[in-house]
Amino acid sequence: MNPILSALIGLFLPLAVSVFGTFTWRKWGKALDLLSVGALLVGAIATCLGAIELGQSGASVSTSVPWLWFEGTGIVFSLGIHLDALGAMMLFVVQALGFLVLVFSRWYLHDDRFYGKFFASFSFFVFAMSGVVVAPGLLQAFICWELVGLGSYFLIGYWHDKPEASQDPEYQANKPFYATGLIESKLSPSSAQFKAFLVNRIGDFGFLSGLALCAWVVSTWSGFHGGDPLSWSTLFGAVAAGAFGKVTFLGFSGAALLTLAGLLVFLGAMGKSAQFPLHVWLPDAMQGPTTASAIIHAATMVAAGVFLTARIYPMLTPEALVAIQWVGAITAFVAVTIACVQWDFKAVLAYSTISQLGYMMLGLGSGAEAGGYGAGVSHLFTHAIFKCMLFLGAAAVIHALHGIQDLNRMGGLAKKMPLTALATGIGTLAILGVPGFSAFWSKDAILAAASAKVSIASVNGDCTFGALIPWILGLGTAGLTAFYMSRQWLLAFWGKGRDAHAVDHAHDPDKPSVIVLLVLALFSIQAVWTGSLNPASEHSWLSGLLATPLGGLHATAVGLPEELSRVIHIQTMVATLVLLVFGVGAAWFLYAFLPSQGERTAQWLRRDPPTNLVWQWLANLWFIDKAYDWLFVEGLGRRGGKAVAQADLSKCFSLDRTIDEAAGLTGWAGRFANFFQSGRSGAYAGWTLLAVFGALAIVLLYK
Amino acid sequence: MMDLLLGGPDRLAPYLMLAAALFALGVFACVTRRNPVGYLMGIELMLNAANLDMVAYGRFRSETAAANAQVGSLFVIALAAAEAAVALALVYAIFQNLRDVDLDKIRSLNGEEP
Repeated sequence: MNPILSALIGLFLPLAVSVFGTFTWRKWGKALDLLSVGALLVGAIATCLGAIELGQSGASVSTSVPWLWFEGTGIVFSLGIHLDALGAMMLFVVQALGFLVLVFSRWYLHDDRFYGKFFASFSFFVFAMSGVVVAPGLLQAFICWELVGLGSYFLIGYWHDKPEASQDPEYQANKPFYATGLIESKLSPSSAQFKAFLVNRIGDFGFLSGLALCAWVVSTWSGFHGGDPLSWSTLFGAVAAGAFGKVTFLGFSGAALLTLAGLLVFLGAMGKSAQFPLHVWLPDAMQGPTTASAIIHAATMVAAGVFLTARIYPMLTPEALVAIQWVGAITAFVAVTIACVQWDFKAVLAYSTISQLGYMMLGLGSGAEAGGYGAGVSHLFTHAIFKCMLFLGAAAVIHALHGIQDLNRMGGLAKKMPLTALATGIGTLAILGVPGFSAFWSKDAILAAASAKVSIASVNGDCTFGALIPWILGLGTAGLTAFYMSRQWLLAFWGKGRDAHAVDHAHDPDKPSVIVLLVLALFSIQAVWTGSLNPASEHSWLSGLLATPLGGLHATAVGLPEELSRVIHIQTMVATLVLLVFGVGAAWFLYAFLPSQGERTAQWLRRDPPTNLVWQWLANLWFIDKAYDWLFVEGLGRRGGKAVAQADLSKCFSLDRTIDEAAGLTGWAGRFANFFQSGRSGAYAGWTLLAVFGALAIVLLYK
Repeated sequence: MMDLLLGGPDRLAPYLMLAAALFALGVFACVTRRNPVGYLMGIELMLNAANLDMVAYGRFRSETAAANAQVGSLFVIALAAAEAAVALALVYAIFQNLRDVDLDKIRSLNGEEP
């Protein structure tokens, strides 16, 4: 199938369903689910055929229609479709995962009040993300980017009338000491959707500024001969030809200006992909339905940031890449430490997503020479599959326990829901990076890239201690990931049920949903991605497909020598395997072995830890949310507003007097004008005539 | 005198004088009439005075502008028809509400009660 046609199908079928569904979901919600599932199935098949047709790496098709003209400047912004290996793969993943999640949602939400609304919002979300993926330039990417934000707003606030837990005195009185680790004790869905939107505003401000900067520089560049200054080919061509070297903006010029533009656009990616310090919206986004979280965390919302960073890769300077690597490493580490103390099944996964996104940025930031581009993008795809599956597994567990998300009340679920436990177990093995599973390959590629970057720096003789830190943080994250993911699985599925009342009636989801879980589990196996079981083989079909010539600043990037690359990969593999064994061992010892040694040990584990400073620090999320609350919400918002209201400004600036005078002047002008406005039409005609004669007289006299 | 009235060889002046007279009549109607229908007729007169001017200039002064002038006057005619339709509907609506169409009494937009 023609790739362009397939992309059009993938874009507009979901859009049509969502527009139709928005108006009809109350009446025909039960039919809408089949319609949207069908639309995404067609979209998935079409985009798969389109990707096959597009085929080998390096090929790309694009088409666009002019949209905004600026007369006399030659600037024409256009909308359209641009597909290359990266875009076609991503488009297929979005459509296919959307289809699978919708199949699962039919079971998960079957008795929900807003049943049809989910399918309408979801289709819109898939449309918006597809729009970002196929964007032929920065402008369309930005427009669809905002639509993605809107779609997430709909989905997070799905249960819009659910109250906040802090408003419920009964809940507050009975909440456990570890309630900071539970989603249910946090914001209401409507506050959470607002928070997500607001935090993304900060990132989008950067995106829009970067976009404007690029448009200005490219359209004033001497090599620009009309067309869309923000289309990928024009933009990257201008970057490669040094368009940014000729202008100065705010004291920046040349490489510094290009770095600024790249980092501004990356700020948008930081918002969407929940990078530190803009990650605070994502855990609260768990207030949406779990299946919505599955798509947000896998293929749409958070993937958009990483995808955009990969897209604008040709214009990212080495300095910008260093910043991206640091942001990614810090994000990965902060999130992974918080995930270790979460007690909510979904919260663990939320922080896990943040840290995995940090990994992707860490990989991308390692640079094309170090193999970071392919590693980051590969992890985007492998992570999309297994994280989607982990979230659907969470949905199955939460549904089976009638809404209980507290890991402390689970345990022993493996006997009750064996297939869910199996699929989630495979997903856990995948995210741990156990050999044979997908993240073993992609995560090791990222860590190897970080390590290779250090090697390149030392070959060039500018290896400082600081350059080592992202790599060390990445390795630490690998160990802690092994700890918290196995902790979660063991707490939920292993041992005996700690809340027999809740656990006893748990059961696997219905057949189609189980099939969805198992299909996703199958794709979490490494061989699917690399085409071989040999872990040392780094030349897989996926990274081969993604080894598109990057162009722009990275046109001349050459990989490391084969020999060095092999050494680095094997070192990384050994290091991560050791960390993996320690992490899993610690989790098994604390959460499986000790509790089985008798009730006293189990109670010792659950003794009141708020005295523990490390626990306090982590359970309060490094005090990042609290700091934002104190600084922006409480400080600038409430206190600042009050201070302005209380201060007697009339004495400082004569503000009152100014306003009074202005009002008086307006009143006088009104009374003057009122003299002519007698309300009698004849008078109006007379005045008009007089004015015409007056004007004529002036023209004739002073000609 | 006859020369002036007939407008010399190209006879433009009589048309202009007729148009000026029509325009003056229209203005007079607008200023003095208290019935909105009369007021509207005044407006029609003014519009047609302008039409006459345009067509006359087109005919006697510029060969190339003739078509423009005629198209322009056709537009004005269409506009006048539309305006008459809307304005008469307004007059009718006012009459329905107030049982009166005296323009001097309809001045509630001035802030006075009708």
